[in-house]
Amino acid sequence: MIHFDNVTKVYANQNRPALDHVSVDVDKGEFVFLVGPSGSGKSTFLRLILKEERPNSGAIHVAGKDLARLSNFKVPHLRRRIGCVFQDFRLLPNKNVYENVAFALEVIGKPRRFIRKVVPEVVELVGLEGKAHRMPDELSGGEQQRVAMARAFVNRPMILLADEPTGNIDPATSIGIMKVLDRINRTGTTVVMATHDAAIVDSMRKRVVELEDGKIVRDQSRGVYGQAY
Amino acid sequence: MRANFIFSEVWIGLRRNLTMTIAVIVTVAIGMALLGIGLMINSQISGMKDYWADKVEVSVFLCKKNDPFPQCKGTGGVNEQEQAALRATIEAMPEVQQVEFEDAASAYENFKVQNANNTVLLSAIQVEDMPESFRVKLKDPNSYGSVIEELKGAPGVSNVINQKEILEKFFGLLEKLRWFALMIAGFLVIAATLLIGNTVRLSAYNRRRETGIMRLVGASNLYIQLPFVMEGVIAGLIGGVVAAVLLIVTKVFLFDGVQIYLANNSQLSWETVASVISLTMVVGVLICVLASFVTLRRYLRV
Repeated sequence: MIHFDNVTKVYANQNRPALDHVSVDVDKGEFVFLVGPSGSGKSTFLRLILKEERPNSGAIHVAGKDLARLSNFKVPHLRRRIGCVFQDFRLLPNKNVYENVAFALEVIGKPRRFIRKVVPEVVELVGLEGKAHRMPDELSGGEQQRVAMARAFVNRPMILLADEPTGNIDPATSIGIMKVLDRINRTGTTVVMATHDAAIVDSMRKRVVELEDGKIVRDQSRGVYGQAY
Repeated sequence: MRANFIFSEVWIGLRRNLTMTIAVIVTVAIGMALLGIGLMINSQISGMKDYWADKVEVSVFLCKKNDPFPQCKGTGGVNEQEQAALRATIEAMPEVQQVEFEDAASAYENFKVQNANNTVLLSAIQVEDMPESFRVKLKDPNSYGSVIEELKGAPGVSNVINQKEILEKFFGLLEKLRWFALMIAGFLVIAATLLIGNTVRLSAYNRRRETGIMRLVGASNLYIQLPFVMEGVIAGLIGGVVAAVLLIVTKVFLFDGVQIYLANNSQLSWETVASVISLTMVVGVLICVLASFVTLRRYLRV
């Protein structure tokens, strides 16, 4: 599903590569934790998958497509197959829960009948039934992140990328978020989650890829966060 | 593509930047009106030229009794032989197409028609005051130089007037006006372009959250950019409508007003005005679309 082959990314005006000859394979339906300290290259890894950045060398394949050969014109179509969740939720403050989720479908031109059908389903899947007409500022952080996850998943992407989704949320609420991610993973969606949260990684017992200074220092199935932290 | 979604976005954008939108509309309106006026002067000039082309003559006025022109002093007016000799000379010229003699009586008739409203002037001028003249029509209206040269000093001739020269002065003035209008229109087009660029940039900044999410969920570039471009188009269209009103007003009050004094029958037709208006509208909208696209490429990386 995601295939990195010897990928190096150096940002302009920086000497040290953000990713240094990284090779990884993520299969369909896998759940992968991306761990490592700040600046180790986790976010760059996710941005490369979305083709928000281009690698300096190496090849990236996502969902069977060679990103180097993907024209800019087709990048939006790639992104429709990838859902994204961030630490800061990125909801539209002037739209309610339903509208925030529906927005993701409206802007890719889905018919209204389809939107009316699937949005309530996804809102229920993330555990926000009955709160569809709340505004984001009436929700707790955990609930806002659930809205963001509903928005990321409403188009049934093949891949879900989560960049520290529990970074702004207390540990108790984080468990709920992880349950939703697990539920999404069980529908066959590949999930890649970058995180600092050792407790979550340890409790999930999923594959762990550890980055340090842009290099992969560990790739372990059913791993833990690591003794060093 | 969902039209009402795009239009609601456009409406929000226009409302948030109301002052900028008004600035764009005013600039586009004035710029396009001036462009249209330039074009209208253009077709007015060619209309008048067509009208006058077969009417311009060289008038060779003959001396009459007590004529104030210096070369007629003391001659007691043109005599029969001089008049016949002049006619022969003129007819012999290769440039001349046709010669007509206008005597005092018919000159007076023409004068009466031209000044029908001016009773004071009509009562002061008598038939005897009108000069006799040869009306010379040239094969090519531009080859008047040698004709005038030869006739000016001839005996019995008081004065030679070339109508074309007078008209050309007037056309020259109109042409200057046209260039002036087009030049200011050019400056305003530049101003409009910069203003639209600024408006779109503000709009893109105001909506960076929305566009960021649209990018993330895979909205196509067209879908993200269209609301911004539509804002430009709508501002351009409104500006174009205002310009059209200005152009119609100019036609009715200025061009048609001038017509009364100059060249009846060569009025600017409404078809010309309509085509000028549609052209300025297209130009206005095109400018807006191009300016929006260029700015979007810089401020809305997709």
